[in-house]
Amino acid sequence: MKPLKVVLAPLDPVHDIGLKIIRQGLEQAGHETRLFPPDYSPQEIVRGIIEEGADVVLISRTLGYGVEEILAKFVDLVDGAGIRDRVKLGVGGMAIRPELAAELGFDAGFGPGTTVEAAVAFVEGREFIPAKKGSQKEKYGILGGATYAWRDSTIKARLDEIAEQIIAWAEKHGSPGIARARLRQEIIRRELLGENVEDLKREYAGLCSPVIADSYRNGAIHPETRRLEQWELDSLGEYVERTQGRMAPISLRSSLAKPGVFAQYGTGCPFMDIAHIKVAEAWGADGVVHFDPSWGARTEGFMEGYLTHRQDGSVITPQNLAAIKKALLPSTLWQVRAHRGLNTPETVVLAAHTGADLTKVSICYGALGAGTDPARLTVDGVESMKLAARHGLPFDVVTNEELCGVPAYKAFAGMLIGANLALHLGAKPILQPLFCYSPEVMLSGAMEDNYVDFNAAKILALRQIVDAPIWPGAPIGFLTQTEERVQSSVSTGLHAALAASLGVEAISIATSDEAYSGGPIAAASRIDTLRAVKENFRFFGRARIEPTPRAREWADEMADRIGAVLDEVANIGDFVQALYRGALGTREEGAYPGRTGQGTVTEAT
Amino acid sequence: MGSDFDRIMDALDIETFIVCRDEAEGAEIMGRIMGEMGLRDIDIVFCQHLGPGARVRARGYIFRAGERYGWLKEEAGS
Repeated sequence: MKPLKVVLAPLDPVHDIGLKIIRQGLEQAGHETRLFPPDYSPQEIVRGIIEEGADVVLISRTLGYGVEEILAKFVDLVDGAGIRDRVKLGVGGMAIRPELAAELGFDAGFGPGTTVEAAVAFVEGREFIPAKKGSQKEKYGILGGATYAWRDSTIKARLDEIAEQIIAWAEKHGSPGIARARLRQEIIRRELLGENVEDLKREYAGLCSPVIADSYRNGAIHPETRRLEQWELDSLGEYVERTQGRMAPISLRSSLAKPGVFAQYGTGCPFMDIAHIKVAEAWGADGVVHFDPSWGARTEGFMEGYLTHRQDGSVITPQNLAAIKKALLPSTLWQVRAHRGLNTPETVVLAAHTGADLTKVSICYGALGAGTDPARLTVDGVESMKLAARHGLPFDVVTNEELCGVPAYKAFAGMLIGANLALHLGAKPILQPLFCYSPEVMLSGAMEDNYVDFNAAKILALRQIVDAPIWPGAPIGFLTQTEERVQSSVSTGLHAALAASLGVEAISIATSDEAYSGGPIAAASRIDTLRAVKENFRFFGRARIEPTPRAREWADEMADRIGAVLDEVANIGDFVQALYRGALGTREEGAYPGRTGQGTVTEAT
Repeated sequence: MGSDFDRIMDALDIETFIVCRDEAEGAEIMGRIMGEMGLRDIDIVFCQHLGPGARVRARGYIFRAGERYGWLKEEAGS
């Protein structure tokens, strides 16, 4: 097109940076520009427009007070000079909205967040169609380039001894959870073939807790739940379709390639989960994590149908998971946690068949901090890892027992046992140390000065042992957040910056409601922390947070102590017994071997 | 068609500064304000009193998880 003459005039005593940036874009597009100084009066600007013979005038006004009067006066002067018909007028600034601009007589108004492309399109008389960033968003590669090479051969040798013992023991044992996982696979296979599965479901019900068995036998559902109604199901489909049509998710990372950011959900209702997931996706989350209710971990078996309830954690059913999966953007990573209870192997089966990208298997935490019998979770955990390997489903191994009071080095020894066991079984584990203000550091004072050193020490210690993907959680900054949303968001954002600085693969973040226990998490609180993380990533970019020398000292100490714990577990020669005897966390520290599922481990047939 | 409140996904938060003697009075006043606005399922998420008054954040739940959400169909019908 023919180059246009564009006058850019800041009707503002100081600010003209926006116009300078737009001017660059206009010149790159081949237009002739003239930028007036910031101290011109409206009369001087109008005189300048006439002298320059401008085709288009872009006015900027950053300060909000009195903006309407000043701009109205300017438009009156342009009218009075008799040039309004041949000059196109645009105005931009923090207080400008398109409606206000039109009311004042401008041809267009540009508010905060206006792009150079939008301004150039206005000058050229083209309709501006913003690029749909979301359509270009790709699924985040959480495994990174990890080789799983062991850097500490002594630790590796101990871990191998322990893994071989666990595998040999598990081969001789079974459980109702494993039997149900196998039945579930058969149910899925036969349903896909369109075959009747009533016989399998009867058999399945026989392996469930009474409350679940009742749902198969007489349609009764768990008292905490209700079935979603048909109008809700129909409306959900329409809601998701409407929402997908306007999704253009932003990216949280600026110049950094990692970490990926996961948001946790588990409102209790799969439909509210979907609503929250869409919010998290829109505001840049790379992945979402499904939290199931705590009673689900203590109950044998899963119900079926679209079920909701009014407590934390969303009930796992094949239908609930399918509804959630259907609502996800193709670029969103989805983790369905299997890790801590009586349904661990079956959750992996359902996760894999529903299309999850990740699961979670944590034998030590489940057995020492989540109430599941150590023997039961060991045999189920091995089966779960085999299933995850078969379905190509990476999983994290978390150290939540830190929250019970178990020192990080003991929890890490347990995590490394889980990770190496997974590698022996052909799976891809991800290490999930906590970034938290744990009871251990509260007592030791290791975070008295800062939250950086001890968290950094954890990553340094793990890195000197093995080259594995690391995904701190869960959520980062746990127990540092308060009910005050600014503090909560800042703390999450800074922990995210630390994680980025340490080069980890992923993080799970809380909402700014993390410390609020009076009711459900609100969707708006998700945005608080996603914005805080984005701002921290933008602030630090490739710059690094520098830990003090204490971090290295603590890392070395931690690695030594992990080795000593593994020696003890290997010397006991029986992993389940080691859990009972407190080698991976004592009762005094807060680790209590669980009792749920006690006596349910069977001899393998 | 339902109320515009049906478009609120879950909760309505109101954050303000209340001139008051102490935290308890701030929370009490905020609770009354929420009630006057017609909100029933309310809670004080955060309240900190220093000097002249209290910074308060109150929340009114419009829909808790498991309820029948107005926004599921309200937008389509509006």
